[in-house]
Amino acid sequence: MKNKTVVIATSEFTTLVRSKAFILGLLMMPLFSALAIGVQKFTKDATDIKDRPFAVIDRTGVLYGPLQAAADEWNAGVRAAAPQIAPRFLPSQTSFAGDDQQARAALSDRVRREELYAFVEIPAGVLDPASNAEIRYYSNHPAYRPLPTWIQNTINREIVNRRFRDAAVDRALVTRLTRRVDMSELGLFARDTSGAIRAAAPVDKIRTIAIPVAMMMILLFSVMSGAPQLLNSVIEEKMSRISEVLIGSVTPFELMMGKLAGSIAVSVLLASVYVVGGLAVARRFGYGDVVHGVDIAWLLLFLLMASFMFGSVFITIGAACSDLKDAQGMMPPAMLLLMLPWLTWFAVLNAPDSPIAIGLSMFPTATPFLMLLRIMLPPGPPAWQIAVSVAITATATVAMVYAAGKIFRTGLLMQGKPASFVEMWRWVRAS
Amino acid sequence: MHPAIRLADVTKRFSGTPAVDGLTLDVPQGSIYGFIGPNGSGKTTTLRMIMHILLPDAGRIEVLGSTGNTAARDRVSYLPEERGLYKKMTVRRLLRYYGQLKSRTIAQLDPVIDDWMTRLGMEGWGDRKIETLSKGMSQKVQFVGAVVNQPELLILDEPFSGLDPVNAESLKDAVLEIRRRGTTVVFSTHDMSTAERMCDRIFMIFRGRKVLDGTLEDIQAQYGFDTVRLRTAGGAAALTGMAGVQSVNDYGQMQEIRLAGDAQRFLQDLTSRTTVYHFEIARPSLHDIFVRIARPEGAAAV
Repeated sequence: MKNKTVVIATSEFTTLVRSKAFILGLLMMPLFSALAIGVQKFTKDATDIKDRPFAVIDRTGVLYGPLQAAADEWNAGVRAAAPQIAPRFLPSQTSFAGDDQQARAALSDRVRREELYAFVEIPAGVLDPASNAEIRYYSNHPAYRPLPTWIQNTINREIVNRRFRDAAVDRALVTRLTRRVDMSELGLFARDTSGAIRAAAPVDKIRTIAIPVAMMMILLFSVMSGAPQLLNSVIEEKMSRISEVLIGSVTPFELMMGKLAGSIAVSVLLASVYVVGGLAVARRFGYGDVVHGVDIAWLLLFLLMASFMFGSVFITIGAACSDLKDAQGMMPPAMLLLMLPWLTWFAVLNAPDSPIAIGLSMFPTATPFLMLLRIMLPPGPPAWQIAVSVAITATATVAMVYAAGKIFRTGLLMQGKPASFVEMWRWVRAS
Repeated sequence: MHPAIRLADVTKRFSGTPAVDGLTLDVPQGSIYGFIGPNGSGKTTTLRMIMHILLPDAGRIEVLGSTGNTAARDRVSYLPEERGLYKKMTVRRLLRYYGQLKSRTIAQLDPVIDDWMTRLGMEGWGDRKIETLSKGMSQKVQFVGAVVNQPELLILDEPFSGLDPVNAESLKDAVLEIRRRGTTVVFSTHDMSTAERMCDRIFMIFRGRKVLDGTLEDIQAQYGFDTVRLRTAGGAAALTGMAGVQSVNDYGQMQEIRLAGDAQRFLQDLTSRTTVYHFEIARPSLHDIFVRIARPEGAAAV
């Protein structure tokens, strides 16, 4: 005869893995990754190839020629590429006769009529190194960057060349003398058991960054796919009065723990699928050794803590509300907690030992995700930080499960208006 | 022999308002006990307390000899008034689940499920999803869900509400069958004729208090032979202004009156007014007793 909590967990697990949401959750991460790669590839290949004609008012009298030459060179490169992957830049020289403002307005009208894409005014003073004169680019497409960037770079290159020439300095020599020296990033030298020194290996971004981030994402997706389902499950049982039948057979705590266990099993299953799939892909590309048993153990520990914590939160919301509409009103704070690691992981990745990274990874609802990331990022945090964060999170998890149990017991049979936070706090404090 | 249920001075309040107020009740084992009362009178609260779904604020509840919250849980089953089913589950999976929550194994459950499905004409429903069933079919599934563990005490909240006559008949037979197997059955109902026909004892709760408790005969005896059912050529109009008539319940073709005074004298007066086809001196029906208590003038006396 099975324990009743196990019966509930099994039923919950079976129901969840048969649901469309689970299938979607299972596909979500690989789908997102594939989509991101696909979109990048598509946007790279499907470049805008519309011609960009623009007028140039060159008050220096010397810059239009090199600009035209650079445009010809650019356009020749564009035409040579098959298929064409960039637009042609088509400059045309013009000058103002009479009132400058009238001329600028006339050119603006031509841009509006789409005869031109933009026009550029190069003041006479730009060749003088002491001058603050600036090139002016007029367009009604401020978001489009390639053309103004190209114009600015091309004109500046020519201006700098001229300045060197005027100062009788050999530009080629300057270029040689100021060439940047590259720096390769390596790990540390090490000694093996025989005392032999092992040379430092170049830093592999996939090993040191991509894998830790992937592990954190696996954790995040697994928790997001499991825990929120509990809210729907509890509300369905409340709305259909199934709760009354269940509470006639089991204690509220058995029911809650069964539901949590079922949901955690779903999250563990998802994480296992992702890890096994990810390792298979990693092995194919020569990274089969990147994830170790201890990494999996950390992932599992943090997955359990996060699932218990967020599961309790969503069960609480479900028990406090009578329908999905009410629940939606209580979701934002819970979702904010779940989104916190999502919003901050990049800061942690950039500086894993910074005070903000340490602080965030000690915050209970963010610890499982951010501490996992820090552990996976070499050289990893000090042991005391791991111990403190795990202790804080474990304590918070137990407290949240305890509070959820109290709220669940009372809220489960309540119908009508949702409980306020004050009421829920009162339920938690009640014996 | 211990009663199946014993309530001793049980009180339950919601936000300070008593839903059940000092209720004392014994439900004998093996009986069918009907709980009646107007909406909001405390029936469901009482049933939920018996199931330990709600805990009383005061008093003592003993179920199958046990006062603990969990001791009798596997021997008692509860059918709530509405739904109580997972829409996406198949019938068999749901019945197995409910049975397992009562500490039965699938091997123990399957023959019982098959037996009840056959009895209730549910053959071939095992693989159907609950959401595809009609209300009557769902109610049968709910009933089987409540009896798969072969409970010693079965509590049904409004089991016949909303059912068509065929399904109601089928469920009534099932309730009688489970009682024949030794189960004590408690059910709440608004259908007085069902309570009259099926229940060994009837309990009425009104405004949280017990107002009736006993066999139908006991209850009717409290009111005496003060009811006359009659059919006359003049109908209800012929009764206007007649001495002794306290109330008239007009059914169109016949009238039921509450009479104070001598029935023979009343009959003489009536025959002088109109042709009398049918004249029956009777005890009040449960329906009539219910209405007398629950109507505002009756309520004032409680």
